[in-house]
Amino acid sequence: MNWQVKYALANFSKPGERSKAVHVAGDLIKISTPDRPDVFAAIAAHETINIDAAIGYREQFENLDFLCGYRTSCVWEGDAIRYLEENRVGWGSFGTLGSAALDGDANTASHKIYKFSDRLIRQYGPVADVVREFDRVYRVSLRTGTTLRIGMLAEYEPTADAVRSLWDRFGPVNIAWNINPSGTPSPEALEAGRELGCEVMKWDDLRERLRKA
Amino acid sequence: MTANDVAAHLLTSCKSLAGFESYMFGSTLSGVGQDIDILVVGPCGEPLTKLKCELGLAGESLPLHLLYMLPSEANHTRFVAREKCVSLALLADQDGDCHLHESLVISG
Repeated sequence: MNWQVKYALANFSKPGERSKAVHVAGDLIKISTPDRPDVFAAIAAHETINIDAAIGYREQFENLDFLCGYRTSCVWEGDAIRYLEENRVGWGSFGTLGSAALDGDANTASHKIYKFSDRLIRQYGPVADVVREFDRVYRVSLRTGTTLRIGMLAEYEPTADAVRSLWDRFGPVNIAWNINPSGTPSPEALEAGRELGCEVMKWDDLRERLRKA
Repeated sequence: MTANDVAAHLLTSCKSLAGFESYMFGSTLSGVGQDIDILVVGPCGEPLTKLKCELGLAGESLPLHLLYMLPSEANHTRFVAREKCVSLALLADQDGDCHLHESLVISG
């Protein structure tokens, strides 16, 4: 049994967990929750989930309800997200899977870290179009014709390394958006953004920036 | 693998950790967590790039959640004290399952 499957099963077997899980085959587990549909979930160890990985899992497991990127650092490419959503396969972190099993919406669940921000940016008036390049990187077209590339920082207190790593991993962004509502970027993170050529900001500042751009 | 085992494994596998302060924090210190939270405090640039490569290999079969801070960020946020981080070196020196004794929790 793969290490990530062992971790997933161990976490579902903790005292007090309403959901229980058993190994089915390979990376596939079955999660059972009282009064909710069973969930067949693949637990992936990938650092990056691209469309090939997504297709591979879906072809391997016909009854797949949810694809879980177990690593906290797991990155989801936009094509993979669109493929999974079009085929009614939920996707996201282990925490997302646990919540989806409890809520009974595994087939439509999306990464809970980015879900609220995704909705926020899509529903904001000045925004005309959004292309999700990665789970945390968007190309946002405004009604004024301006296009901005925005990367999300989910950390509570984004560090200089978080800003630099976002830039190094995903390429240049205009804005690094700290999506954690309680967090505050460190002064070093703001400085790292200035050095790289991007602004590090929270939603209130981003909203104004998009309104005026 | 206990928290002690993980600490020993990382210190053995990642020689560059000698140039950084490294800690574990979070649920793994008291049992199985969803991931293994590791804080690394030290310089950025080439030394950090090298360390990230080493940790990537060492964590191939572990759910490491790595947080890198500059010394000034660690001081400013008081993260080590706030999150009750425990030095990897201290963990690695312990034997057996990790149910940490209060005196081993770093308070500074």
